[in-house]
Amino acid sequence: MIGALDKPTEGKVFIEGVDVSTLNDNRLADLRRRIGFVFQFFNLIPRLSARENVELTMAITGLGRDERRKHAEELLETVGLKERANHKPAELSGGERQRVAIARALANNPKFLLMDEPTGNIDSKTAKEIIELVKRLNEEKGVTIIVVTHDQHIALQAKRTVQMLDGLIVKEEVNRHESK
Amino acid sequence: MKVNDILSYSFGAIKLRKLRAGLTTLGVVIGIAAIVALLSISQGLQDTITVQLQTGLATDTLIVSTGGGFGIGAGGPMGAPDSGFSLLVNDTKTINEIENVETSVAIIQKACYVKSNEREFIRYVVGVDFAEYKNIYSTAFVAESGDIPLNPDNETIVVGKRISDPWKNETLFLNVNGTIEILWTNATARPPKNETYTGHVAAVLREIGGFGIGGPSDFSIYIPILQARDFFGTDKCDMIIVKLENDDEATIESVSEAIKEVFSGQVSVTSSTAVLDIISNVFSTVELFLAGIAAISLLVAGIGIMNIMIVSLMERTREIGILKALGMKSRTVLLIFLSESVIVGLMGAAIGIASGWGLANVVARVFSGGGGMQLGNHAAATGGMAITPVLTPTVFLGAMAFGLIVSVIFALYPAWRASKLKPVEALRYE
Repeated sequence: MIGALDKPTEGKVFIEGVDVSTLNDNRLADLRRRIGFVFQFFNLIPRLSARENVELTMAITGLGRDERRKHAEELLETVGLKERANHKPAELSGGERQRVAIARALANNPKFLLMDEPTGNIDSKTAKEIIELVKRLNEEKGVTIIVVTHDQHIALQAKRTVQMLDGLIVKEEVNRHESK
Repeated sequence: MKVNDILSYSFGAIKLRKLRAGLTTLGVVIGIAAIVALLSISQGLQDTITVQLQTGLATDTLIVSTGGGFGIGAGGPMGAPDSGFSLLVNDTKTINEIENVETSVAIIQKACYVKSNEREFIRYVVGVDFAEYKNIYSTAFVAESGDIPLNPDNETIVVGKRISDPWKNETLFLNVNGTIEILWTNATARPPKNETYTGHVAAVLREIGGFGIGGPSDFSIYIPILQARDFFGTDKCDMIIVKLENDDEATIESVSEAIKEVFSGQVSVTSSTAVLDIISNVFSTVELFLAGIAAISLLVAGIGIMNIMIVSLMERTREIGILKALGMKSRTVLLIFLSESVIVGLMGAAIGIASGWGLANVVARVFSGGGGMQLGNHAAATGGMAITPVLTPTVFLGAMAFGLIVSVIFALYPAWRASKLKPVEALRYE
C-alpha cells in the first residue's frame, strides 16, 4: 500500500499528502513512477538486458532514447554493474540481479525506495554487499529507503524501525547508531 | 510511453516466441491469401471476359433464340422449354423488316467430329452467311491468313485460330488450303445417317479470345449457310444475330419487343449488354460467396490470435505486474497487447497479400496455359483464355484493413483483461 500498488479497504494511506484511496488507476500509476520498487524476487523482465530493464522504467515515463540510455549506464555504474549491462537477468547472479533492480528503482529519481525483503533471495555475503550499496545510496545520494525485512541484521542498520506483528504495529524506535 | 517504445517493446515480446507468433501469423496469412487470390482471379477473369465480350461482340447486336434461355458461347439456349417452335433460316427476312434493324444473320450450329491428319476433335460447326457475319462482327470475323470468301463455293470453310493451332505452339492442325473432314450423324433420319463434309480451308481467323455469344469463336469451324442447310438437312437455325442501327437502350428495348411480337413470344431476345450485366451479376455473387468462405478462414485466424493472446496474458501476468509497479498506465498495457496483435495481423496481411497474389498468378497460368485444349474438347468456348489476375488497390487496402481489424478485434478482450490486472495480484502470480 505504501507503494500505491493497492488501495486500502479501510483507513487511509497518505503519500505526499494525498490520500491514495481517492486516486484512480491512472493517478496511482503516476504516483508509482515516483516510488522505486525493489522486490524479493527481483522481478526483472527476463528478455531484456540489465540496461534495458533500467531503461524500461524511463521509457514508461516517456524519456527519450539517448537520454535514458545514458542515465541507465550511469545508474548501473553506481550499483557496480557497468560491465554486465548487456547481460540478461538469467546470466546474472542473484546479487547482480538485485543490483539491477536497485538501479531500475532509482531510474526515475524516486521520492523513496521501497524494498521488500531485498536480501531474502540471495546469499548472506551478497546480501551484505547489497546492504552496503543501499546504505551508500542513502548517505551519498540522500535517498529515503524503506525496507521490509525479517532479517534483524538489516533492521538494525536502519535509522528507524517499525516492528509489525500480524498486521499491527507493535514497536517503533529510532536507532541512533552514528554512521561509521 | 512513446509509441515507438510501445512498438519495440511489443516487437521484442513477439520475437521471444517466434514459433508461436509465426503460427498465429500463418493463420492470418492463409485467410488473407485466400481472399486476395480469389478476388484477384475472379477480378481478372471478369475483366478478361468483359473485354472479350466487348471486342468480340458488338454492343449493337441482339441474339434471338428459341425458348427462355440465352446461349453462352457456342452452347446454345440453356434450359429452353420445348414448345416445338424453331427459328428458320429464312426468318432473318422477317426480322430485317423491323424498324432499326440493320441486318441479321441465321446461325446453324452442331457439334461434329472434325478430322484432319488422323487427329480428331469434337468442335462446333457453324453454318452462317459469311458476308453478313463479317458485316456484324467486323472486328472479330477477320482472317489472319487466307481470305474469307464472301460468295463461297461448296466446300469452303473458315476456321477459328484454335482449330488451326490447337496447342498454341504453332504445331498446326490445319492451315489455309488444308482439308478437313467433318463428320455428323443425322439422328433425325431413319435410319440415322452419318454425313461427311470435306472442307477446304479458305481462311483462318485472327485470334479472338475466349468468349463469344453468338459471335465468332476461336474454336469453331464456319461453313457457308447454304451448305450447312444441305449438310445438316434442316432449315431450322439455332439463333439469329441481329445487328441494330445503333446501341441505344431504347432501340435495344423496342427491337427486342418487336422481335418477340413477330414470333408471338416464342423466342427470347438477348442483348449483349444484358449478357454483360448478367455475367457481372453472376461474378459479383460468386465473388461474394468466395470472399465469404475466405472470410471464415480469417475468422478462424482471429480466434487463433485471441487464443494466443490469452495464453500470453496468463504467462505474462507477472510481467504486467512489474510494468504496472513501474508506473505503466493501464492504457499503455492495453496498447502493448494490441500492438503485438496488430504487428502479427499486419505482417500476416502483408505476407498474405504477397502469397495470395503469387497463388493467383500460378492458378491463372495453369488455367490459361494448359487448360485451353482440355476445355476446348468440351466444345465450350472458355478454353485458352488468358486470365491476368488483377490486384485492385481496393483489394490490397481491403486485405490490409481486414488483417488490421481482425487482429484488433480479437485482441481487444485479452488486452483489456491485461490492462485491468491489479498490480499486487499480478506480482503475486506465479
